[in-house]
Amino acid sequence: MNLNKLLPLTETTFYIMLSLIEPSHGYAIMQRVEELSNNKVRVAAGTMYGAIDNLLKQKLICEVPSNDKRRRVYTLTPEGSEVLKLEVGRIKHLVAISENLVLGGN
Amino acid sequence: MKKFKFIADFEGEEKYLNQMAQKGLHLKKYNSLGVYTFKEGKPKNSSYRIDYRQFPNGAKFDEYCTLFEDAGWRHVYGTPRSGAQYFLPIPNKAQDGDIFSDTESRMGRYKRFATQSTISFIIMLAYFIIAIPKDFVFFDIRSLYYTEGLWGMTGSMFWKAFLFETPFVLIRVIPLLVVGYMATIYAYGAIKSKSLYTKNII
Repeated sequence: MNLNKLLPLTETTFYIMLSLIEPSHGYAIMQRVEELSNNKVRVAAGTMYGAIDNLLKQKLICEVPSNDKRRRVYTLTPEGSEVLKLEVGRIKHLVAISENLVLGGN
Repeated sequence: MKKFKFIADFEGEEKYLNQMAQKGLHLKKYNSLGVYTFKEGKPKNSSYRIDYRQFPNGAKFDEYCTLFEDAGWRHVYGTPRSGAQYFLPIPNKAQDGDIFSDTESRMGRYKRFATQSTISFIIMLAYFIIAIPKDFVFFDIRSLYYTEGLWGMTGSMFWKAFLFETPFVLIRVIPLLVVGYMATIYAYGAIKSKSLYTKNII
């Protein structure tokens, strides 16, 4: 599968995948996203569940064994890490060109 | 207390449940034919939230309910196969006032509802076709009576034969009406939710 097709990620998906570099369960991801975004991005429960469901279907994340069956733990798959890297590269490029064009004049 | 109401949009349904709660009627159960069961209690200002999701197994469903509970939402009613899932905020527990934080996921429930309604509609339509009595001509009630020469009879002989067969006619026709009603509900739900989804996403 061409992973580039999955780009660009939405801000919410980006934060969720960023949180899943460390294995964690749904509610922990919600808290982590808030923390990483300086409280600017909050993911509500229904949106969070849907996002996990989608990422699992796209095989960008997978379940890792844990004791608490009611709070399943997920982490990025190798494809997930790859997508995240591609997205960071894409954003880096955007930042680099805009530094020249938007901020570079002065 | 049971109430019959058919609402095809979740926002309207949330509003309806909030109004009922203000009258002291709190949601206990719901079934997809439109029957709400309420339990009577104190009037309350509630803010119900509805998601639409079905689960392949109980474990997935547990995980779903636990996530909402962790985030401050009590699962009021819903089963793994019921589709509609009803939530209320847990008092004194931090939560964001809504169970969705973006338009796409808020509208996603309409997409899932439309898909499920379409499947249910097709199943009901198949049942409907199967339930059509033999030799039935639509809008011609006479074709439901199988007694030979019935419509040529006169006087008490006609009434006797007519009344004798009527219960059997009802048995033949009631399943058709029930299944037809359900097919209509599902078709309406599918069309309305599909259009709500399309209108809000594009």
